Amino acid sequence: MSSDSTLVPYCSEEAKSRSVLMSALHFLSRSELPPDAALPQRLVEKDARAFERLYNLHSRTVYALVFRIVQQSSTAEEVVQDVFLHLWRNAGQYDSAKGPFVTWLLTLARNRALDHLRLKSERQRRREELSETLPQVAMAPGYEEALDEKRRAERVRALMGSLHPRQKQAIELAYFAGLSHSEISETLKQPLGTVKSWIRNGLQRLKEGLQATS
Amino acid sequence: MNNCEQFRELIEAYALGTLDAEERTDLDIHLASGCVNCRTALEEARWLVSQLAYLAPDKLPSPMLKERLMQTVRAESAALRRSVFVFRSRTRWTWIGVAAMIVFTLYAGREMRRLRDQTRQAQSNAAEAQRDRLRLEEQLVLAQREIGILTDPASLKITLCPQNPQTPTLEGAWHSELGILLTGQHVAVPAGSRVLQLWLIPKTPGGRPVPSLTLRPGVDGKLVLSVFNPPKVMAETKALAITEEPAGGSAQPTTAPIWLGGVS
Repeated sequence: MSSDSTLVPYCSEEAKSRSVLMSALHFLSRSELPPDAALPQRLVEKDARAFERLYNLHSRTVYALVFRIVQQSSTAEEVVQDVFLHLWRNAGQYDSAKGPFVTWLLTLARNRALDHLRLKSERQRRREELSETLPQVAMAPGYEEALDEKRRAERVRALMGSLHPRQKQAIELAYFAGLSHSEISETLKQPLGTVKSWIRNGLQRLKEGLQATS
Repeated sequence: MNNCEQFRELIEAYALGTLDAEERTDLDIHLASGCVNCRTALEEARWLVSQLAYLAPDKLPSPMLKERLMQTVRAESAALRRSVFVFRSRTRWTWIGVAAMIVFTLYAGREMRRLRDQTRQAQSNAAEAQRDRLRLEEQLVLAQREIGILTDPASLKITLCPQNPQTPTLEGAWHSELGILLTGQHVAVPAGSRVLQLWLIPKTPGGRPVPSLTLRPGVDGKLVLSVFNPPKVMAETKALAITEEPAGGSAQPTTAPIWLGGVS
């Protein structure tokens, strides 16, 4: 008699099969190492194949993000090219001790894309302050799993899809358009406090959702 | 609610970049004060915010973008490898140059030591030759002086007769300017460190013998006694005598003369 059947002596065959399947999926999820853990270091050594692999892994996400911000394919390609060439020529700037590589890359891409909006406003000045510096430390929390881009996107979209549409819109205006609380308040014609609560609560729910699905 | 709790509520908005200037400045100051909890929270918030990138609808870049990028990357990679190759080649030649320099230095050092040894040996030989030359010159001068003493008509021939018939006679001459020369063969060598000493016996009655040089005959029994600076007392000297004395000679004779020869 196996140890599983000893621990679960009265469960049905269907339940047992489901349990085994979930255990296997959980194991596969946990055993999946980041596919590009060593690639940034190989970029420092000017390994073109490592660059190509990193491009294949992340260009889709980076391009989608940049396009979402600049809303124009030619500008998006220009920004993505700029981001990846910066990565190629300055790979040594990435420090694995300061967080996951993909987080660093996405932050860099967002900053560069927002730079291209070229708005002469307080918002633009704030973004310029951000983009002039390299991405800061962004540590993945303990609940973070090593997922591929596709599964990660599905999970984040599902969690954000569960928010109120206006709440999701506020967060998207902040992230993709680089608007401040006040600007979002004006855009959505909602009180400033409401906008702040939406964004804070929305991010909190995203965080809790990521924790719960890990 | 303390300051830290207030700021923690702003952390996500700070990471998202939505804080208005005043709130952002306040939080910047708080973070700069070294609040570890807020800093850790901010690092996690940045990661959380980065996840929002996945909200962007799927969109593929054109294959041309990858082609352009890879063209640039491969060209730069190849250029770097070429420069590394050139650097390594230069490095290799540099090492070869260094090795050659070391070999040359060692060879030159060895040659220098060899030449220095040769020079030192040559200098030593030259010094030895110089000493030989000086010695020969001295011997020549002595020989010329001795010949002068023996051949000059002004010299006074002296025969020193032994007191013991078994002892050979010594012959000699005294030149008032050049000195005294006495020679003999088969002369017995004094025992131990004792020496033979020449004395000038004055004509003055009761006068004390004037001490002169000491010497030891050669092992072959040959005796040559040259006194080149005798006192100018030839006219006042009655005889020459030779006694056996302790090493270093004596102020007055301590033994009976072995040889005695009149000066007239």
